[in-house]
Amino acid sequence: MKKQSMWSLRLSTAALVLIPVAVGVNYIGKLLAALLKLPLWLDSIGTVLAAMLGGPIVGALAGAINNIIYGFTDPISFVYAITSVAIGLAVGILFYKGFITSWGKAVVAGLIIGLVATVVSTPINIGFWGGTTGNIWGDALYTFVLAKTDSTWLASLLDEIVVDIPDKIVVVLVSYGIFRGLPQNVIQLYTNNEKIETLD
Amino acid sequence: MKSISLYEEGTSFVHDVDPITKLWYIPFAILIPIILPLFTVSFLLIGLSLALLLAAKVIRKTIPVFGFVFLILITVVLIQGMFKPENETVLFQIGPLTMYKEGLLFALTITLRVINIIGAFMILVLTTKPSDLVEALVRKGMSPRIGYVVVSVFQIIPEMMATMSTITDAQRARGMETEGKLLVRIKAFLPLLGPVVLGSLINTKERAMALEVRGFNSQAPKTFLYEEKTYQFSKILQMGMLLLTVAAVVWRIFL
Repeated sequence: MKKQSMWSLRLSTAALVLIPVAVGVNYIGKLLAALLKLPLWLDSIGTVLAAMLGGPIVGALAGAINNIIYGFTDPISFVYAITSVAIGLAVGILFYKGFITSWGKAVVAGLIIGLVATVVSTPINIGFWGGTTGNIWGDALYTFVLAKTDSTWLASLLDEIVVDIPDKIVVVLVSYGIFRGLPQNVIQLYTNNEKIETLD
Repeated sequence: MKSISLYEEGTSFVHDVDPITKLWYIPFAILIPIILPLFTVSFLLIGLSLALLLAAKVIRKTIPVFGFVFLILITVVLIQGMFKPENETVLFQIGPLTMYKEGLLFALTITLRVINIIGAFMILVLTTKPSDLVEALVRKGMSPRIGYVVVSVFQIIPEMMATMSTITDAQRARGMETEGKLLVRIKAFLPLLGPVVLGSLINTKERAMALEVRGFNSQAPKTFLYEEKTYQFSKILQMGMLLLTVAAVVWRIFL
């Protein structure tokens, strides 16, 4: 009863159907964060959940399609599709390696994913905006570091880190909580082992 | 149910251009200013995009997007104008703040680049129905399964938003507070999000089975519900953009 490789490109129907739901969850998370005026984005819960359930390929696809579709309401997000893909891949790999198994480990995973997102986003921020992110706290830090050290890269990296890491930790915690609340028969749908279920 | 796409129906010639051609216009508009880094070139391309948006009568819908972008660009201008490490030449002073020439020129480059890219995307987004674009891509060889995924997002999101507003009402009726201190608002996040997400994920099982039953995984070649639309000038426009790109490269190398 060997698990299918996590890199398998043969996506099941269930895995494909998961992607639009993931995009929807991202959208709702972002909407709720704005509605409740929370100081985080919380717009990648769906991508993280899709990666937990379907693996890195589904996570990456969900991330890419998510940003392409957001692009139809806000063209800037096209540019950040690469970040979403990286998040999906990172969560998928961590989860399939069996790393995210407790709340404590979920926090560490959030930290790692926040770092991955930062490393991928910083060059985009520099190329597109000259290094700032549009977030007040991040940009204040950017200005401070730039004035002190004259390094655009360091300033931009820190600018992104202070926003991304808390956001991704909360996102992974929320997703892990939801994942634990899912009924077994839904999780089973995605585990891809050729086991036959009986009806009793 | 409100659609999430910004597409606006219309009859202009921009609406009648092949979605694939509009898609090609985006890399074209991004590449040309990279090949020829002159302010004039960027201004020309932005002018072209704005003219096309005007001709398509969708320029009003670009205002909220550009408004949001300008807000970020103002911080870019201020921060780069004052703090860019290469700043040397003082341009003017307002109170204790000094604006430098190098930083402002850099900010102008960024502003032009961003407006140019957004303009090119807006042409595609505002004048192309998402399902038309997906259909055109599937005809070009994209997997119809991925095509289904993209199109179904546009159906699922309004559905999930409706569910969310039902759940918000239900939770409020039970006395949950959604306004007030940060802690109160944080506590409201999970009870609002949880049920929508769990419900939607459980629904995927049924959706997957419904699709399987209808031959979603069948290897037989797929047919299309609608007849292929014919677009004029697709080849000419695409060739024109290619030629202009080649001309730009030649100009950059030899002049």
